[in-house]
Amino acid sequence: MNVPAALSARIDEVITHYPVSRRSAVLPLLHLIQEHFGFISDEAITWIAAKLDIQPINVLELVTFYPMFRRQPAGRSHIRVCRTLSCAMAGSYGLMERICATAGIERHGHDHGNPIAVSRDGKYSVEFVECLASCGTAPVAMSGDDLHERVTAESIAQLLDSTGSSATLPKIHPPHSREKRIVFQNIDRDGWSSDIGKYLLYGGYEELKKAIAMKPVDIVNEVKASGLRGRGGAGFPCGVKWGFIKPGEPKPVYLICNADESEPGTFKDRYIIHQDPHQLIEGMIISCFAVQAHLAYLYIRGEFPEGANILERALAEARARGFLGKNILGSGFDLEIYVHRGGGAYICGEETGLIESLEGKRAYPRIKPPYFPAVLGLYQCPTIVNNVETLCHVKHIIRMGGAEYAKLGRPNNTGTRILCVSGDVQNPGYFEVEVGSLTMGELINDLCGGPKPGRKIKAVIPGGSSAKVLDATERFKLKQKQPDGSMAEREIGLDDIPMDFDSLAAAGSMAGSGGVIVLDDSRDMVWTLNNINEFYAHESCGQCTPCREGSLWMKKITDRLLAGGGVKGDAGTLKTVADNIAGRTICAFGEACAWPTQSFVAKFKPEFEARASKPLPPPMPPEILPEQLIEHTEIPTLRGPHSEGTGEVIAVAGSTSAPTPLPAHEH
Amino acid sequence: MSTETTAKVQLLNVQIDGVWLQFPKGTRVIEACNQSGKFIPRYCYHPKLSSPGNCRMCLIEMGMPKMGPDRKPVIGADGKSEIAWIPRPQISCAQDIAEGMGIRTDSAMVKECRQGVMEFLLINHPLDCPICDQAGECQLQEFSVDYGNGGSRFLEHKVKKPKRVEVGPRVTLDAERCVLCSRCIRFMQEVAHDDVLGFVDRGSFSTIACHPDRTLDSNYSLNTVDICPVGALTSTDFRFKMRVWFLKETKSFCTSCATGCNTLISGRENIVYRQTPRENNDVNSIWMCDYGRLNFHYLQSPERLTNPTIKGASGNEITQWEIALSRAASELKRYRGGEVAIIASGSFTNEELFLTRRLSEALGTSLLDIVPHNAAGDKILLSPDRNANTAGARLMGVTGGVPGSLLGLISSGLKKRTIKALIVLGEDATKVIGEEIANAELIVAMNILPNGTTKLAHLLFPSAGFAEKRGSMVNKNGRLQRLNRAIQPPGSARDDWEIIRDLLQGVSGDNGIYMIEDVFKQIATSVPAFAGLSLSKIGDLGVQLKLDTGEGAPAPKTSSATAHTP
Repeated sequence: MNVPAALSARIDEVITHYPVSRRSAVLPLLHLIQEHFGFISDEAITWIAAKLDIQPINVLELVTFYPMFRRQPAGRSHIRVCRTLSCAMAGSYGLMERICATAGIERHGHDHGNPIAVSRDGKYSVEFVECLASCGTAPVAMSGDDLHERVTAESIAQLLDSTGSSATLPKIHPPHSREKRIVFQNIDRDGWSSDIGKYLLYGGYEELKKAIAMKPVDIVNEVKASGLRGRGGAGFPCGVKWGFIKPGEPKPVYLICNADESEPGTFKDRYIIHQDPHQLIEGMIISCFAVQAHLAYLYIRGEFPEGANILERALAEARARGFLGKNILGSGFDLEIYVHRGGGAYICGEETGLIESLEGKRAYPRIKPPYFPAVLGLYQCPTIVNNVETLCHVKHIIRMGGAEYAKLGRPNNTGTRILCVSGDVQNPGYFEVEVGSLTMGELINDLCGGPKPGRKIKAVIPGGSSAKVLDATERFKLKQKQPDGSMAEREIGLDDIPMDFDSLAAAGSMAGSGGVIVLDDSRDMVWTLNNINEFYAHESCGQCTPCREGSLWMKKITDRLLAGGGVKGDAGTLKTVADNIAGRTICAFGEACAWPTQSFVAKFKPEFEARASKPLPPPMPPEILPEQLIEHTEIPTLRGPHSEGTGEVIAVAGSTSAPTPLPAHEH
Repeated sequence: MSTETTAKVQLLNVQIDGVWLQFPKGTRVIEACNQSGKFIPRYCYHPKLSSPGNCRMCLIEMGMPKMGPDRKPVIGADGKSEIAWIPRPQISCAQDIAEGMGIRTDSAMVKECRQGVMEFLLINHPLDCPICDQAGECQLQEFSVDYGNGGSRFLEHKVKKPKRVEVGPRVTLDAERCVLCSRCIRFMQEVAHDDVLGFVDRGSFSTIACHPDRTLDSNYSLNTVDICPVGALTSTDFRFKMRVWFLKETKSFCTSCATGCNTLISGRENIVYRQTPRENNDVNSIWMCDYGRLNFHYLQSPERLTNPTIKGASGNEITQWEIALSRAASELKRYRGGEVAIIASGSFTNEELFLTRRLSEALGTSLLDIVPHNAAGDKILLSPDRNANTAGARLMGVTGGVPGSLLGLISSGLKKRTIKALIVLGEDATKVIGEEIANAELIVAMNILPNGTTKLAHLLFPSAGFAEKRGSMVNKNGRLQRLNRAIQPPGSARDDWEIIRDLLQGVSGDNGIYMIEDVFKQIATSVPAFAGLSLSKIGDLGVQLKLDTGEGAPAPKTSSATAHTP
């Protein structure tokens, strides 16, 4: 394989980012090779294996696990269209058909095993991808490395021939009066840009100077006092997590920024990374100092290539000013941060899956016990994994002090957080608010302009697609602190639920990543669940039995329901399959793929049962195929102890062979 | 017995299904349950490999001591700590027991978990039982009977994957049957030190594979077939040969090298169909190499010698045992001691070697040695010494410190015709000495298959293969192990030890040995290392002998024979 000198030099440089294990460089090398050659050839796989002193199977495992890597060349212009919920609701499937028609691409026959369809003349290729984290400007697509937002039939031409992007940086909007922008205080300043000059102009890196003069344990205590809860989805108290690292820990400590934003409905970290990268870097340096990590990684999802470039440039700027590297600001503290790009797998957002991915392996989450990241994390050393937004909050906690920060928001739900709203509202977008300062109704109606004209809200998914759906007509019993300090239980509707961690949990869902998806009364709940199920079936890593088998099974059932082949009992099957997954898996992906099914089926049962009305076929030959269940209205049944039926074998209408005669059945 | 004091092991209190028991600290939960009689079903866990915890079949209910406000365990009425049960089920394969832990192995929650996992494993599993070799020893079959819910409600298309893949020269892969437990991958990484297997694709489409540039050709590849809980990895040699429930398993050990891995020989109606390793943590853990494992087909060769023959005017004539034996004895007695040489096999049993030594003494000759067989060994199990009982040959006085050192003397003696009679037992002398063995006036041979020597033999005795006889051998580390008879030798072939005993009796007039146990008794009284032992005391796992560091054979007590010079 002919590797030109410049590429070879770049490869050698990247390998130095992973002093502990060369194997960690596989993903960066795959990206570099694919960028140069256009795809990963068989030769490239063996070349990379030899370069990193690992086995060829170790590289092949990754190329087939991470969807961003392709083993066949794509078109000169490669279009990735998002198929996940918010974009699908905004018409991305119809958009894909138009793109194919315009570009002359035949997509029929392309599926998971062969997702990329190339036009005959080789100019264009398309594939569906999962959530690109820009749901507020749905439908979105990427053309090469460029993001195109709000793609319409009219803008397809621009998408196909994107030479400079129509939106390399995501579009921003000014704050609503109910917002309190702390993390987002910079992004819509007049004349703002993401270079360090602007950041310093507005007081950037002052908190780093303050923090580096503090004792690390005092920083941890400030964060504990602030009550900051993780903003990635789990909402785990950040100070408690940091407290798991013992001072004087003999093994090296690592810190990883989880910039793998992939939860459908979430698109906040994108803005921080693209618009205000130095805030993230400053927060990260402070956090590393607090836990005494000297090597840190910024794991950014592969679908943010421009974001990775921005961060690399920002890190170089920070290094040049002495904020990073050896002896930071003369404190004696050394720290190096490297950007590491992912390969397009949602499961890399799971902290132990991320760690495995960083080590150069398939992103299989680890069992806990014993692999708690704070004990046996990256390279089996204590590791802290924090979300992008969480690390930004750390900077502000240092600025105002933990106690002051804790005054924002509500008790146990402190500070501000960025909510992302997408779906059937007039003005989707991002909003930074004090936690719990808004109710769901205020968010949807006041900040987002309410539902579309002539429509009513039917359901809301409050915290990313993993969160349980809330029915607009549901009543929730929530305990709330009264003005006199006593606790009282109130029954409230969806509109009155405060948008904080505890209230949403009490309502039977979760605040999660803050990605709110709104569904109005035009939406078919079976279609919605099917779209979500396909996401999870696609993203399941496949390591443990319930999720691997169950996620695809649930998708196949809702596929069949949508196609008209639903049989009695399908709704119950969906529920019990989901019940057999949640709580039984290695990681929370089990809950994430089971909760949508459990909640949609439970809260919108009539819609599911309406599609599942054909009789259950008998468990004996002739075997009934899903296609027959879909096409035929007459399904053969047998009376028996477990089935209801007419007691006769009814010929399946349209079948090409006569059913095999069965032994006479006793009535 | 070890004379060292064992370090004091801490015992921890654990409650299993309501009963408080004690186990040494460091015991895995799943093993503690097993030891207490509660088997936990599992696919991915294997006691000799790392634990990934991915199959989820070993989920149980677990509880830890309830902690009071003083951060100390709350003590219940029975004097033991109260248990706070964890609401979510936990896997039992990747965690060690802890003081005060509680485990429930058969609660309603556990039963549901197992039914759930079984259902998930079966939805994409092909209905291959009628053609799958694993049937009868398949954990999917067994656990679905014990823990599954008996019916299928899966109405969709199953995921299709490659079937009948030649993943290695000796292993066939059916990727649809695979339950992705990753035991094979971990074995190849951790035990065989040859990282060739991995998973490709993702989610429900994940498939076990080997990179196209490599194959699963390790000398330990067939162990993956042993540990595969389903019929995904199967032995190509054994494929479609026999249903396992027809096989009779005999405990024995492999005789293809000096390691002596413990085995199970599986046979039916006098045919051996396969060998599989048997656990012995002092010899081979639970593994064996492919070379030894597959080295048994020759037992069924149509070329097997089945009748004693005498070379007459018109070639080799089949005769009766009594005639052949008495003729051999009478011929041998015509020669003086120095005119007779005996070449024996380093893969003979101790009993056969002991009698060979006595035969050499009865014939008055010290020209006695075994044929060394050496080839490349590895750091795992395969020994470079391909004789199974070199240590035994030394102890019985059939060979000295360097096996084969007398073969040169024998060769020159045959050339000069000072050696006139040659006895070749279980070897091919033409391979080590060459055509000059034809100079001998008398060649008496004993073997199981024809070779260059048997063609020249004047008297030929058909004997038994390793799976067809009883006896004992000593492995490279001084472990005394016992062969058991799995099948009968073919035709009129007899046990080697009986043939040598009859020759000895014919030559010396000695009688009194009727059973193989009698031979061992004599060994036990004349070879110090064997003192106090008997064939039955060896047991299924063998006995470690205490050997002197000097490799020279102590002269057995019986004889007037000239001692070997080492």
